[in-house]
Amino acid sequence: MNKGRIISIHSFRGGTGKSNITANLAAQAALAGKRVGVVDADIQSPGIHVLFGLNESKMGRTLNDFLHGKCAIVEAAFAVGKNSGDAEGRAKLAGKDLWLIPSSIAGREISQVLRSGYDFNKLNEGLQTLIKELNLDYLFIDTHPGLNEETLLSIAISDIIIVILRPDDQDIQGTAVTVDVARSLDVPKMILLVNKALPKLDRADIKARFEAEFDAPVAGFMPLTFDLAENASKDLFSLSRPEHEWSLALREVAGAVLAMK
Amino acid sequence: MAGVFDRLQQQINSQKQEKGITALDLADLSPGLRKIMRLMLREMQLNYPRLCEEMDSLPAEERLTRTDLNGALDKLTAQFWLTRVGEGERAIYKVNLKRRSGSSLPSGIWTMLDTKLKDRPK
Repeated sequence: MNKGRIISIHSFRGGTGKSNITANLAAQAALAGKRVGVVDADIQSPGIHVLFGLNESKMGRTLNDFLHGKCAIVEAAFAVGKNSGDAEGRAKLAGKDLWLIPSSIAGREISQVLRSGYDFNKLNEGLQTLIKELNLDYLFIDTHPGLNEETLLSIAISDIIIVILRPDDQDIQGTAVTVDVARSLDVPKMILLVNKALPKLDRADIKARFEAEFDAPVAGFMPLTFDLAENASKDLFSLSRPEHEWSLALREVAGAVLAMK
Repeated sequence: MAGVFDRLQQQINSQKQEKGITALDLADLSPGLRKIMRLMLREMQLNYPRLCEEMDSLPAEERLTRTDLNGALDKLTAQFWLTRVGEGERAIYKVNLKRRSGSSLPSGIWTMLDTKLKDRPK
């Protein structure tokens, strides 16, 4: 099998902080000297590019271009390490081996995918080709919340799946569905990550409860914080505020993921 | 203008895509076949000797006999979940994923959206 590992980040519901956590985990892996790719497979509502300082005017080729046969997948890979920019956090990625494959933010491109669909073999071929041609250690896949076709494919080809949930009954019920699907597709490793955890929560109790309910380890608790909300996706928070409790928690999760055999 | 063979090839390709496998279909396969399909998705294709090698490396309870494996490969190929190039020991297998479906909304809605998006300033 390809040596690069595929890590899919999922949440059953929107607003769990999935893209933010994906971007920061990928950045931490790149800082640790790994060769890392991030694919925005949330074709219907892309967003992770913002965290890497991209906007529509700066965006070159995209995943949509590749899916429609307009370019090779590697041409859609934006080298973050060569275009890290001036933002305090992202600047730390200068020279690092991190690539982002953005989805198009152009309305017409999104509507074209929704209207006509596309060849799923091509999407899979693109993901596997990225690992080979960029010689990646890790490929992170950010998907649309819930279960759709891209989500299911990413689960089926993953080595590790990280399921993000908030301590909220709607998230908990939905997570049970994601966990069941991942199990039925034989994903080798699955971890849970609790985000937006209030300080007053009894974490030990929640960890024990979730681990018993989902039969998967809770890799960490990310605190609910106004500081992250204030960052408003302008920078990679774990790099711009490395000593913040959110960043410390994220680094702990990144360490656990990178240590997985 | 496309020739008759081009048109036939297009028709075959489109039939294959319509009948391809979805990720959820993988869940209904036997554990051994599912592992091999997952491996095929990652490797993009596997030749028959490698497939047999992978099958032999599985735990005994998940392993298929050669006869069962050959039968399963024939069945999966017949339903276009796998595509096969070549025959016998020299065959190469590839997973054929079902095309991502497009929207079933009336086309007028998309035309109107396209027109509006086209006029939108960047």
